[in-house]
Amino acid sequence: MSWSPYDLNGGTCIAIGGEGYCIVAASTRLSTGFSILTADKSMILPVNSKCLIASAGFDGDRSQLHKVLTFRSENYEHFHKKPMSCPAMAQMLGNTLYYKRFFPYYTFNLCAGLDDQGLGCVYTYDAIGSHERVGYSCQGSGKDLVQPVLDNQLKAPSILELPPKVAVTSLSKDEAIETVKIAFSAASERDIYTGDAVEIFVMTPEHGVQKEILPLRRD
Amino acid sequence: MASSGCLVSEQKPNGFDFDLCKRNAWLEKQGLQTLKPWSTGTTICGVVYKDGVVLGADTRSTAGETVADKNCEKIHYMAPNIYCCGAGTAADTENVTGMISSQLELHRFRTNRESRVVTSLTLLKSHLFRYQGYISAALVLGGVDCKGPHLFTVFPHGSTDALPFCTMGSGSLNAMAVYESGYKEDMSKAEAMELTKRAIRAGIFNDLGSGSNVDLCVITSEGAEYLRNVDMPNPRTFTAVPKPFARGTTPVLKSKELRVPSLESRVTIESQEGDVATAMDTT
Amino acid sequence: MASTRLNVPGLDGRCAGASRAAATLALGGADLASLAGGSPVASEFPLPAVQDLDRFENNVQELVKPEHGTTTLGFIFRDGVIIAVDSRASQGSYVSSQTVKKVIEINPYLVGTMAGGAADCAFWQRNLGMQCRMFELKNKKRITVCAASKMLANTMYSYKGMGLSMGSMIGGWDPSGPAIYYVDSDGQRTKGTIFSVGSGSLYAYGVLDQGYKWDMDVDTAVELGQRAIYHAQFRDAVSGGTCSVYHITKDGWTKIRGNNHYDMHYQYYPGGHPTAANDVI
Repeated sequence: MSWSPYDLNGGTCIAIGGEGYCIVAASTRLSTGFSILTADKSMILPVNSKCLIASAGFDGDRSQLHKVLTFRSENYEHFHKKPMSCPAMAQMLGNTLYYKRFFPYYTFNLCAGLDDQGLGCVYTYDAIGSHERVGYSCQGSGKDLVQPVLDNQLKAPSILELPPKVAVTSLSKDEAIETVKIAFSAASERDIYTGDAVEIFVMTPEHGVQKEILPLRRD
Repeated sequence: MASSGCLVSEQKPNGFDFDLCKRNAWLEKQGLQTLKPWSTGTTICGVVYKDGVVLGADTRSTAGETVADKNCEKIHYMAPNIYCCGAGTAADTENVTGMISSQLELHRFRTNRESRVVTSLTLLKSHLFRYQGYISAALVLGGVDCKGPHLFTVFPHGSTDALPFCTMGSGSLNAMAVYESGYKEDMSKAEAMELTKRAIRAGIFNDLGSGSNVDLCVITSEGAEYLRNVDMPNPRTFTAVPKPFARGTTPVLKSKELRVPSLESRVTIESQEGDVATAMDTT
Repeated sequence: MASTRLNVPGLDGRCAGASRAAATLALGGADLASLAGGSPVASEFPLPAVQDLDRFENNVQELVKPEHGTTTLGFIFRDGVIIAVDSRASQGSYVSSQTVKKVIEINPYLVGTMAGGAADCAFWQRNLGMQCRMFELKNKKRITVCAASKMLANTMYSYKGMGLSMGSMIGGWDPSGPAIYYVDSDGQRTKGTIFSVGSGSLYAYGVLDQGYKWDMDVDTAVELGQRAIYHAQFRDAVSGGTCSVYHITKDGWTKIRGNNHYDMHYQYYPGGHPTAANDVI
C-alpha cells in the first residue's frame, strides 16, 4: 500500500435547525484503526456568535480548516464590525473547501446557526464544498445509522416545492434535543467510532450558545 | 495436450485445493466487493492459577466498523473440563471448536476417559495447519485434566504455545499489559478472576474491536463454571421513547375490504378442489 | 506529472486567468496577492506533492465521494425555454439528498443546470454569474447566452484533465430569442433545441422526443418537461426527489412547478402504476 496523506478519525455530528433554535452536536471520540487516540476531542468550532461548524473526517485537515475559518471570520469582523451571518459563513466554508478541489480537506462538514429571521439554519457539505441548506443533517462515521432516524422523526418539507413551505422541523427545542440524544446513544451502541461523550451546542436568540455534555458508552 | 486424442480420466490431485482462495484474492484485487464476515475483533485471554484455569472474553462482535452483536459468546465449550476462547472470523471459531468438540465427545465414548487438553490442542492445530491459515481462528484453549491445569494459544496457521497466561485478538495487547503487570504464580481463584476481568476490561475500553460485557470461565478439577456477563460496564447512558406518530401520518391511498371465509365454509371449500384453487390464489 | 499540469497552455489563457481572478473575488478578497498579478493556478488550487497526480485524484474521488446522479433537461420552443430538473444527489449507492437545487440562477435571464459533480457545477456556475455581471458592467448590456456559455466552456477547458465533472445546460433569453447550450467538463459546447443530461437522460429523451413540438403552448411545454422528469425519476434509481420546472421568456425566468415525485406519481397514476401488480389479491 502506498502512503496516503489522509486518515479517518471517526466521530459523528448532527445539526438540527428549528423555529427559534439551532442544535449542533458531535461525539468527542477521536480514533484511528482500532485504537482510541483521545476520548475528549471537540469537533465543533463556534466560529462566531452566530455560527457553529462541526467537521467529521480527518482530524489533521479539520484543525487546519478550523484555523483558516477562524482567521477569515475574525478578519471579516475587523473589516465589517459585525460577525459574519450564518448564510455568509456557509458560502465561505463552501468556497474554502472548493479551493482545495484538487487536494481536498478530508472533512465532512455541517454549518449551523440562526439566520436573520431567527430561524435555525443548517448547511450540509460534501468534502469538496458542494453545500445545501437543509432542516437537519448529520455527518461522520455514524451517518448511516443516524440519518434514517432523523428522516423518520423530523422530516421537513422540501424547499423546492411550490407553493413554498417553511423548511424547518416542527419539533420544539426540547424535543429536538431529546431526538439528538436518542440518536447518539443509539449510534454509540452500533458504531465503534462513536462513543465516550457527545457535546450538544444549543443556540437561541435569547440565550446565545449553551453547551451540554452527555456521556456515552466508553467501549 | 488435448490434441493427443486419448481420453485421460480427470484425476484430482491429493490434498486440498486452494484455487478458489487464489481466485478470490485476484478478484478482490480487481475491485470485487466481498461480504464482510462477522469477526470477533476481540479481547480474549486466559490465566493458570493455583487450582485451575480462568478464561475471559469480551462480548462484542463486529462487521467492519459496525457492531453486529452486542452480547455474543466467545468462550466455546469443548468438553466438560475444557473450554476455548475464539478470536477471528466468528463463523470459523464457532465451527472449528464445534467440530473438534464433537470429535472429543466421540473419543470419550470410545475410551470412557475424560478428554485431555492436549488431545483437543492436537486436533485443533492439525486441523488449522491443513488449511494454511485460511481458517481464521485464533484461540485460547484452557482446561484441567488428569495432568493438572493447562493453557494454550493456537494461531490460525496451526502453531501453538503453552503459557501460564496468554491473550489473543485485537485487544490482546491491552489485556497482556494487565497480565504482565499483575500476574503472580499460584494465585487464588478470586485473584485470577479479578485479574482476568481487569484484562478484558482493558480490551473493552481501549480496543474499538472489543466491547460490551465480560464473560469468564473458571475450570478446576471439580468442573467448569461458565460465568456469563460477570461484568457489565457499559450501561445505556440515555433512554427515551420517541413521540408516537399521530394517526394518519401515513396516508391511506385506497382501501379494499376482503371477506375472510368462516371456518365452516372453509372446511366445505377445501373439499371442492376447484374452489380451493381460487381461494388460495394470492399471486 | 504535477508540474506538467501547471503548464497546460490553456491555464494561462486570458479568459481562464480572468475567471480565476473573479473567483478570487468570490473568496472575499482574502487572497489579495493573487489579485495583484496573474498568479499561477497552484496558489489558488493547491496540488498535492505527489508523483502520480492522476492516481491521487482517482483515490480522492473514491475517498470523498462527491455528490452525483441526475436527470436534467431543457428545450426551446415558440414561447421560450423550458428547464426541468430532478433534485436527488447520491454518493455511491447512498442518496445523500432529495432536495438539491439543480437549477442555478446565474442572473434573471440566464439559468444553468447541474449534472455531474455538484460542487464543480455549483462553484463554476456561481463564478460564471460573476463573470456575466462583470461583462454587464463593462459593456453596459446584458450578456448573450452564446457568450455566457462560451465563458463557462473556456473555464472548463482550462481545467481539462484535472478531473472536473460537469454536464450543464445554459439556457436563457437574449436579443436573438430563446437559446440553450450544452457545456460539459471536457470543454464541449453545443447549441441545440432539446437537451437532456445525466444518468436518467435517456428516459427523459424518450418522453421528450415523442411529445415535443415547436408550436406548443406554454402549459403543454411545462407539462412535457415535468412528465419527462417524472418518468426518468421513476426508472432511474439515482434520480428522484422533487421536479422543478423553469420557464424563461423575454422577461426572464420564473419557476413554474415544484412537485414532489410522490405527489406526481399518484397524480399521473391514481390507481397505482400499471407495472405494479396492485389489483391482484
